[in-house]
Amino acid sequence: MFGKEFFVNRYRLLGWEFRDVAPRQAIRVNKMNVDGFDVVGRLRDLGVELEKVPFLENGYWVIRSDFSVGATVEYLLGYYSIQEAAAQIPATLFTDLKGKIVLDACAAPGGKTVQLADLMGNTGVIVALDVNKQRLKALMNQLERCRVKNTVVYRLDARQTSKLGLRFDRISLDVPCSGNFATDKDWFRHRTLQDVRRNAKLQRQILAEAAKVLRSDGEIVYATCSLEPEENELNINWAVKNLGLETVDVECYGDEAPTEVFGLKLDESVRRCRRIWPGETQGFFVCKLRKRRQNA
Amino acid sequence: MTEKEVVEGFARLFGAELFLNKGFVVRNGNSYFLLSQKLKSLTERLGSWLYAGTYLGKIEHNGVFHPSLSLLFLMADKAKNRITVDDKAAWLFICGRDVFKEGILKIEGSRRKGTYTLVFNRNGECLGYGRIARNLEKLKGGLAVKNLFDIGDFLRRERPAVKEI
Repeated sequence: MFGKEFFVNRYRLLGWEFRDVAPRQAIRVNKMNVDGFDVVGRLRDLGVELEKVPFLENGYWVIRSDFSVGATVEYLLGYYSIQEAAAQIPATLFTDLKGKIVLDACAAPGGKTVQLADLMGNTGVIVALDVNKQRLKALMNQLERCRVKNTVVYRLDARQTSKLGLRFDRISLDVPCSGNFATDKDWFRHRTLQDVRRNAKLQRQILAEAAKVLRSDGEIVYATCSLEPEENELNINWAVKNLGLETVDVECYGDEAPTEVFGLKLDESVRRCRRIWPGETQGFFVCKLRKRRQNA
Repeated sequence: MTEKEVVEGFARLFGAELFLNKGFVVRNGNSYFLLSQKLKSLTERLGSWLYAGTYLGKIEHNGVFHPSLSLLFLMADKAKNRITVDDKAAWLFICGRDVFKEGILKIEGSRRKGTYTLVFNRNGECLGYGRIARNLEKLKGGLAVKNLFDIGDFLRRERPAVKEI
């Protein structure tokens, strides 16, 4: 159960015809650091051609640049971050982030942590966790470069979050996943369904831990860059049935998620998730969850 | 010296008076951080963290305090010793090069050899700091400020990490 044909056929069964894609590089302006001036204008003056991403408030596609946009003074001063367009969506789905206690459970290399801090206006607290030492270094560099002030970083497996003894208002779960072919040209050669299932199991463990540490009125945003339903719809279906969570309607780019996957009927509420097939962006899946209301 | 005194003492080398909240500057290993009230109470309760709040710098093996770029940004509008450089000199500076007299647009504060100074671009953005290499009063050209630390460090420090991922 591997190979391009096998996976492409699965995508067809989910309603998407495979085509080769090349997602565009994107940047996200860090509003907290550019108060009062136009960083996009400055980049344009340097000769960087940018196009506003229509579904993002602060996102721009890099259409053309004669140099790396990761080596400008503006980048080094934390005025913007390089962050793929679809990856900018999850953090924007939370309501009312200011002053909240937020968990970024699989935080490195820090793109979403910085975005959360930006949306929070550096208020409240972000607890950022990761297990990989090298990736944690990258996370801490991002925090320093982007002048994030509200974050504390722990080297901790997301499955052990309850060891911290904290309850969170908002939880960002950008969980480790199998990725997809749009950002990895060898994806079909080295991925198998077994990998996908192994990742799905890990993701369920992380989801279960997140449900434990979520406040009763809290929100979880779950995201992967995998196209495989085991890591997406099936995990959300499992969470709805086993963790006392419910999905929440979101307004964002992407298609409604399917509620029937390879002949398996899922909970109707799974359609509230968003599936983004590769095209202008990389492939992505995102879902907002909260604790089930007793009277619902 | 307390953590607060170490950091404020460093800022004073540039003529900058920082008034950091006592008790909110904390040391974690060799690193110094400035915490908010919320972060302080949380980190005290949870222990063993890697990074928190605003990273201010660290004590090097030789016992000397090495600032973070965030500390330089905090000092930027308070420092008296500052030089502003043209675009070419700014670019060379963030590539780790020293500043030559020819690239300096403006000098504020001390011009004496050995003085620490922040380096700014023409937009007034702090790019790092250096030490005045020769008395700038009489200097006609050539090496003026020795680069000690600049924002290009973000790129240089990431290189080995990226390879290992």
